[in-house]
Amino acid sequence: MNAREKILARISEAKPDKAALSHHLENHPRGPQPMDFDDLKKRFAERALKLSSDLVEADQLNLAPGLIANYLQQRTLPMKGVCWPALNHLPWLDSGLDIEARPAWNEDMVGITGTFCAIAETGTLLLLGGEKTPASVSLLPETHVAIVDPKRIVATMEDAWDLLRRECREPPRTVNFISGPSRTADIEQTVTLGAHGPYRVLLVLAP
Amino acid sequence: MQNASLDFKRQVTVKLADEKLQQALSRLQSRFVEGRSAVISEIHDLQETRDAATRIRDRVLNNLGHWLLHFEEQATKRGAVVHWAETAEDANRIVVEIAKQHDVKTAAKSKSMVSEECGLNDALENAGVKVVETDLGEYILQQAHEAPSHIVAPVVHKNKEEISDLFANVHGLPRKTGIAELCREAREVLRPAFLNADMGISGANFLIAETGSALIVTNEGNGRLVTTLPRVHVAITGIEKVVPTLEDASTLLRLLPRSATGQSITNYVSMLTGKKKETDPEGPDHFHIVLLDNGRSSLLGTPMQEMLRCIRCGACMNHCPVYQNIGGHAYGWVYPGPMGSILTPLLDGIEKAPDLPNASTLCGACAVVCPVKIPLPDLLRKLREKQLALGLRPRQETALLGIWSWLALHPRAYALATRIAVRAMKVVGGKEGLLHRLPGASGWTDGRDFPAPEGKTFREMYRERS
Amino acid sequence: MRVGLFVTCLVDSMRPRIGFAALRLLEAAGCEVFVPETQTCCGQPGYNSGDSKTAKNLALKFIAEFEGYDYVVVPSGSCAGMIRVHYPGLFEDEPDLHERFLKVAERTFELTDFLHRIVRLEKITGTFRGSLTYHDSCSGLRELDVYKQPRALLARMPDVALEEMVESTTCCGFGGTFSVKYGELSARMADNKCRHIADTHAGTIAGGDLGCLLNIEGRLRRNGDHDTRVLHIAEILAGGED
Repeated sequence: MNAREKILARISEAKPDKAALSHHLENHPRGPQPMDFDDLKKRFAERALKLSSDLVEADQLNLAPGLIANYLQQRTLPMKGVCWPALNHLPWLDSGLDIEARPAWNEDMVGITGTFCAIAETGTLLLLGGEKTPASVSLLPETHVAIVDPKRIVATMEDAWDLLRRECREPPRTVNFISGPSRTADIEQTVTLGAHGPYRVLLVLAP
Repeated sequence: MQNASLDFKRQVTVKLADEKLQQALSRLQSRFVEGRSAVISEIHDLQETRDAATRIRDRVLNNLGHWLLHFEEQATKRGAVVHWAETAEDANRIVVEIAKQHDVKTAAKSKSMVSEECGLNDALENAGVKVVETDLGEYILQQAHEAPSHIVAPVVHKNKEEISDLFANVHGLPRKTGIAELCREAREVLRPAFLNADMGISGANFLIAETGSALIVTNEGNGRLVTTLPRVHVAITGIEKVVPTLEDASTLLRLLPRSATGQSITNYVSMLTGKKKETDPEGPDHFHIVLLDNGRSSLLGTPMQEMLRCIRCGACMNHCPVYQNIGGHAYGWVYPGPMGSILTPLLDGIEKAPDLPNASTLCGACAVVCPVKIPLPDLLRKLREKQLALGLRPRQETALLGIWSWLALHPRAYALATRIAVRAMKVVGGKEGLLHRLPGASGWTDGRDFPAPEGKTFREMYRERS
Repeated sequence: MRVGLFVTCLVDSMRPRIGFAALRLLEAAGCEVFVPETQTCCGQPGYNSGDSKTAKNLALKFIAEFEGYDYVVVPSGSCAGMIRVHYPGLFEDEPDLHERFLKVAERTFELTDFLHRIVRLEKITGTFRGSLTYHDSCSGLRELDVYKQPRALLARMPDVALEEMVESTTCCGFGGTFSVKYGELSARMADNKCRHIADTHAGTIAGGDLGCLLNIEGRLRRNGDHDTRVLHIAEILAGGED
């Protein structure tokens, strides 16, 4: 017997009721859910700010680059960086931004992404890694800017999974919940923003 | 990891006298205990959620073989390679082989208690692979050649000054004093480690059977880096970590960070499924998942099975008055506090940790906060039973227990014995009414007086009265 | 109603006056109180030392002595918890006994729980005056949900001022045999408790479990504090605490 067989042989289990177990998988029932949120956008914004994210709102997607440029300028951050190839069509240059569409490298200081959806419950973004949505863009740069479509704010994690199941046949290699700038409290349990990932996260709500 | 639990009693003395440690521990209590209490109430039906989480874990454990096989099938289908390790040594051997197979020179690692359990770093280093811990706490410990003292906050026992000195010494840079500066220095020193690593090693908080994914819960971003940048990703975790569906994981995720660090959610929850696809611009070419048994399967179907529900939040230790006073190192192995006092004897041998199940007042604070309702005091008590049955208790203790039990079952002899004892103690207690020394109970009187009895028993006075 | 008083081994040997205080309180509440003479110990020291065989034998002894009463009242949360929460579990493989233990468990109460919730004692005769702070013993608190009950009873005493200490629900370090086996650790935990008591500037520390009270008193006295009074809640409620 190899290790796998030996371990499985040691596992004393009730004879599985295969029908019940596959029923559980197929129906993937939800646990207790948070109470309904009256206004998903409001809840999302409140929670995101609590997580130390910054947030601005644009009337339309084309105006997002201008708001992003303002944000970077106000904080004297570099006006250049990378974005998801999926966002290459936005008028970056018009706003004075020098943005390349590609995965991020170590030197990149600003990374701009979209979001698959956002979760109002905790103020969380859900990002899927992929050909046009490389995960490194939200990870390596010190500033992460995420464009969020308010129509794609869902209430709970479970709603996000349903959306994922509906729209993607297969989960991509990386699915990331992102909830604010990276942080650590390892030294004296004191929360410090900016550990190995971004120091700041700007959310741009834009339809 | 080498087990030093036999040294528990001596370590208690050392830790109680360590003022720096005592200060550090008071911080843990204020941040984590108060932090949990502030956010756990966000869950409006907390008890129902704990019940649901408990059912989820029990469902898995009752059919662990089924769910593991389903997980393996789904993970394999998406390009992961699943390995099964019976023991810590097997797990180390498997990871070393993976490293050799992919010509790995350096590995970047995010925090994994299972890898600590195995002593994986030493095994890799012995095989010529350079391992860099990248979780800030674990990195500090690696530089200081120390073991973690907490499963969530591994370096809770060290203060800022010690870390400043350590960094100045190891990095050869000007000494930093601010916490933010120290964090930045670690970030800058560690970036190349991520970029240059051939292999990333992570743990997994949950394995999702539905999708064959490893799910990791992190704050710093190092977990994302080690699973995204290197060309090989190895996730190592215990066989009990599997959960059926994403919804099941979600219920547990509502409880885990709130119970652990007092966060509503951690910064990152990363779900890693399969290896890099052809169209993916990044991600590992190889994804290996190592499932460690190391004694876990033998707990299934026994009264100790409930321990396998554990999701490693650390709330039990944060709320434990014993842990709060001595910290994690005294426990001597990877897992400290109440969960460790149960896991250490179960996974590493009951004879190796005779003190741990006994070094608890069974106050129950741990059970109240456990998100998956593990009856920790009951399990500690069951281990005490096992110790007694195996003859692992000191002879003097069992002799006293025998005398007490005989007397308690023989009321007339008991009445006589207590009458004599309370009279004698009253005399010794004198005018002050205090005994400064008690033969056979110096454990009490070394640190406390023993208030003298009144001199008669209730039952004799009651009989006189009526 | 006929109430069996399980006086507990510690009260029996160390502080009979607590037993008599409990007796007076129950009588004041209109109960007919019985004290089975052969009672000894609930078995907790054995149970918590891994000797469940002795614990079972003592449980059987207990049920023979107390099954006939309408209620069983215990001036200790930890002994009441042993009877209510742990006895039935010792007989899970013996359905008839299990059933009988469940029934006795339902009728067994910690003293303040009984006085407040079952007989709803309104008139408190205690003569205690001044400020006190209250330590919540672990078993009563976490196994029996005793927290409000002693406070509600104390609130009916106009001359008593309750000064809450921080961490009143944190273990004092007693833990039965733990206090001897791990004396140093136990004393440190008691020390923390003493500090919190001192911070309230209340002259008295009260509680519902004699084990904890002896532990706290022992540490207070060793630390040179001979002024802070250490009293069982029954003594305060029933009077005669002087």
